[in-house]
Amino acid sequence: MSTKAPVAPQPPRTIREERLARDGKRRRPSHHADVNPLREGLRLERVPDPHVTVLFGATGDLSHRKVFPALAQLWRTNLLPADWALVAIGRRPYDDGTFRMDIAESLHRNCRVQLDEDAERQFLDRVFYHRGDFADDQLYDTLTEKLEGMHLEHDTRSNLLFYLATQPSAFPEIIGQIGRCGLDHEVHAGGWRRAVIEKPFGRDLGSAIRLNREVLKVFRESQVYRIDHYLGKETVRNLLVFRFGNGIFEPLWNRQYVDHVQITVAESLGVEERGAFYEETGAARDVLQNHLLQLLSLVAMEPPATFEADALRDEKLKVLRAIAPPTRQDIAREVVRGQYDKGWVAGVPVKGYRQEPEVDPESETETFVAARFEVDDWRWSGVPFYLRTGKRLAKRASEIAIQFRDVPHRLFAEANTDPQPNLLAIRVQPDEGILLRFGSKVPGLGLDIRPVTMDFTYGTAFSTDAPDAYETLILDAMLGDQSLFTRADEVEAAWSIVTPMLDGWLDTPAPAFPNYAAGSWGPEEADELIQRDGRSWRRL
Amino acid sequence: MTLSTSPGVVGQPVLRWQSRAKSLDGITAELGRIWSSIALTAEGPDGEERRVAARTSVMNLVVIAGRGEVGERVASIVEGLTGRHPSRTLIVTPADPDGPAWLDAQVQAHCVLPSDAAPETCSELVYLTCGGESGQHLSGLVAPLLIHDLPVTVWWPGEPHFESPSARELLPMADRVLVDGSGWTGDGMAGIAAMAKLPARHDIEIADFAMLRQARWREAIASTFDRPALLPFLGHLDRIEVHYAARDGAPGTANVVRPMYHVAWLASRLDMAVEEPFRPGTAPWSGYTGLLRHGRRRVQVALRPMESEAPRGTTLIVQLHATRSRSQLWVEVTAQADGVVVQASLDGNPMPERRFLAPRKREADLLAETIETAGRDPLAAAVLATAAKLVE
Repeated sequence: MSTKAPVAPQPPRTIREERLARDGKRRRPSHHADVNPLREGLRLERVPDPHVTVLFGATGDLSHRKVFPALAQLWRTNLLPADWALVAIGRRPYDDGTFRMDIAESLHRNCRVQLDEDAERQFLDRVFYHRGDFADDQLYDTLTEKLEGMHLEHDTRSNLLFYLATQPSAFPEIIGQIGRCGLDHEVHAGGWRRAVIEKPFGRDLGSAIRLNREVLKVFRESQVYRIDHYLGKETVRNLLVFRFGNGIFEPLWNRQYVDHVQITVAESLGVEERGAFYEETGAARDVLQNHLLQLLSLVAMEPPATFEADALRDEKLKVLRAIAPPTRQDIAREVVRGQYDKGWVAGVPVKGYRQEPEVDPESETETFVAARFEVDDWRWSGVPFYLRTGKRLAKRASEIAIQFRDVPHRLFAEANTDPQPNLLAIRVQPDEGILLRFGSKVPGLGLDIRPVTMDFTYGTAFSTDAPDAYETLILDAMLGDQSLFTRADEVEAAWSIVTPMLDGWLDTPAPAFPNYAAGSWGPEEADELIQRDGRSWRRL
Repeated sequence: MTLSTSPGVVGQPVLRWQSRAKSLDGITAELGRIWSSIALTAEGPDGEERRVAARTSVMNLVVIAGRGEVGERVASIVEGLTGRHPSRTLIVTPADPDGPAWLDAQVQAHCVLPSDAAPETCSELVYLTCGGESGQHLSGLVAPLLIHDLPVTVWWPGEPHFESPSARELLPMADRVLVDGSGWTGDGMAGIAAMAKLPARHDIEIADFAMLRQARWREAIASTFDRPALLPFLGHLDRIEVHYAARDGAPGTANVVRPMYHVAWLASRLDMAVEEPFRPGTAPWSGYTGLLRHGRRRVQVALRPMESEAPRGTTLIVQLHATRSRSQLWVEVTAQADGVVVQASLDGNPMPERRFLAPRKREADLLAETIETAGRDPLAAAVLATAAKLVE
C-alpha cells in the first residue's frame, strides 16, 4: 500500500560477495543490477510517475464528490507528480474554463481539507475538459490526438491512467474503444497503461464473467484496478495490521475460540436521489456482494506469505471459495431481505422506500439483507458469520464483531451475574476504533461480575487527518499497487455466492414489502435468523 | 489551578487546565489532580456538556530547551500537535546554574475535539524551569515524571552537548533523540561525529530534522535511476558534488550537515567505503573534498559553497557524474522555491526534466512526522554512520 515506499528486497549474495561489499572492496554484484539500491529504506510516500489521468464520467456525482476531492488532496500533499494532467470526459457542454469553475465549487463543498488559493489554481490548471459521447468513435479519435499532444506538453512519458467513473453499462463500450485506438498498449521504454473500474462490477455472475472477458480482451489483469472503496478505509487496512502485526490475537482467531462473527454495514440514509439506480441494484448487489464479502474475507483469511497484492488476494479468494453457494433451502432459512417503510430517523419523519423519487410504488427491490454464511475450511468450520446491511436503519455504523466462546467452566457460581463472553469489535465507521470487552469484578464485598471495555479510538491516538479511502486507492493505482483492488476471480467468486440468492428470490412469490420501519434495525425475520442459533445482533 | 470550560472547536487545541508547582511532589500531585477531576466537562460545539477524555498513551516527550525563548517556541509547537501528540511533554529549561537550587513548574492540560461526535483528547505539558544544582541533574528531575512503559523521546533543539554530564545521565533513559543538525554552529561536523557515537553507547535511535527535510531530494535522485537505461550507471559513479548556500567562502562559516547527508546517503546505499574523509580546502570557496571507494573505482566527493541569499548550508544543487562503457551520465538536481528539479543528460543528450514538489517543512511538521513514524529507521542509522566516517 502507498503509505511507505516498498523496500526493495536485498539481493542475495555469496558470503564472499557480502564480505567484500561490506568492506567497500567490491560493488554490488552486477547480476542484481535490476534493483535500484537508492530506493532501499526510503520512508517517504512515493510519488507516482508522471502521467495523464483520463477520467470518464467526469461530470457525474461520484467524480464531484469523491474523485476530484481525492485528487485535490493528493495534490495538496505533494503526492501527485508535478508532471501530471487530467483529461475529464463527459457529455455536458463545458469548456476547460467552465469545467474548472464547476470543479472548484465541488472542491469547496467536498474537500476534507481546503486547498490554499495557489494550490487550487495549480491543480485546476492541469484539468482539461474533453466533450463527447462514450459510444462515439470520434470521441476516442480526438482523445488519442489530444493525449499525444499532452504527453509532449506536460512531459507525462506516455503513462495513462484510465478511470471509469461512469454507469456500469458504459464500461464495455469505453474499454472496447480504448482497445480500438490502441491506448491500452504499453510502450517499451516506460509508458504504462492502467484502468481503474468502479463498482458494481457486473450485476450477477454471468454479467461479471462477460465484463471480465471484455476488459481482459483489452487489458491484462495486472493493468486492471477494480475499486471497492471499503478496502481503502483506514480501519479496514488496519485489520490486516491488527491481525498479523500483533501476536496475541491470531492464536485465538479460529473455531476453537470464536463463537461467531457479525459484520454490519448500516446506513441511516435512504436512497436519496439515486432511486432509479437503486431500483436496479438493491442491497445484495450494492453492499453484500462487495463490501460485506470483502470484509468477511479479510477477517477469515489465512496469513499471506508476503504483503504483495497477489499473495493477499489469493488468500481472500480461498475464503470466498470456501463459502458454499446457498441452496433454495438455505435462502429460505438463512437469508432475509427487507424494504423500509416510512418511519423516524434521528427524530425526523422520513418516507418509505416506495415513496422515494424514481422508485416503483410496487417495488420489490430489497433495501436490507441479512445472511448467515459458513466458511468451510479448517480454521472456521462450524463458526457462523452473520452479515447484515440496510438503508434507513437506526444509525450509520459499520462494524466487525468477533464474539468469543464462553468460558468452559462457571467458576463464580456465587456471583449474581454470569460473565459475558469476550468480544472484539472493530468499528469501521464512524468513530473508527477497536473495542475489547471482558468481565471485571465489581468493587465491593460481593462477587458481582460486570462487562467492561478497553476502547481504542483512532482519534485519541493518532492524527484525525487520515486520508479518505479514495485518496489511498487512487494513489495506489497510480503507483501500480493492486493490493487493495479486487481481482477478476475474486469478483466472480463473490458473485457465485450472491447470484443464487438473487435467482432464488426471483423464483419465489413477491415479498411482503415493506417489512421494516425506517429508523429500526431491519425486519423481525433478521432477528429470528440469528436468534434461531441462540444468539442476537449486537446493539450498535 | 485554573479550569477552562470554554467550548471546543474541532481540531483546535484548548488549554483546559493550568496550575503551578514548586517541587517534584507538587508536580506529580497536580498531574494527578487533572485526571482525578472526574467532573471535568466542557461545552461542545453543539452547546452540550461533554466529557473530557482521559489522557491518551502514546509516548513521553522530553524537551531540553537551553534558553527560555526556545522553551516557549517548543511549547507552542507541542500545543499545536495536541490530538496527534505525545501523552506527556516535559519541557526542561535549566537556568542560573551558579545560584541556589530551585524548581518552578507550570502544569497544563491541552485538549482538542477530534470530531463532533468524539470526546476531547487531552495531553499534558509540564514546563519545568530549574536553577542551580537542580539543572545539573536533569535525569533526577525527568525520571520521576515519565509515564512508565511508554517510549521516551528526547528532543534537543539548538546545540546539544552530548558529552555533558546531564546528557550522559539523561540519554540512557531515552529511546530516541531528535535534533536539528542544520542549526548547529560552525560547519556542524563535530556534532555529527559526537552524535554518531550515541546509538552504540545508549542503544537509542536518532532522528535529525536536517535529514528528514531532504526526503524529497532523495526521492528525486532515486527516481532518476528507476529508468532501466540509467540504473546500471549507479555502479559507475565517479563524482558526487553538492553545492550549498554560503555568504563567504571560508570553511567553517556555514553548516554543511545537510549537504553532507546527501553524500552519506548515496555512499551508504551504494556500499561505498570512505577512503578519505572530508577536508576543507585552503583556497576560498573551495569547500570540502573527500574520496569514496566503490569496488575498484574511486569516487571524488565535494561540498562546494555557492554565494546565495538562501540560509547558510542550504543544499542548492546535487550533481552526479558516471562513466560506463564510454557513455557519460550527468545528473543535476537543483533546488527551486517550491521543490526540486532533476535534469539528466546521457552523452550530452538531455533527458526530460522532472520536477518534485517539496515545500519547506516547519518544525511542527517534522516533529509530527517523527512522532507518527515511530520505530526503527535503518536508513537514518546507516546515513549517520556513514556521515560519521566522512567527518573523521
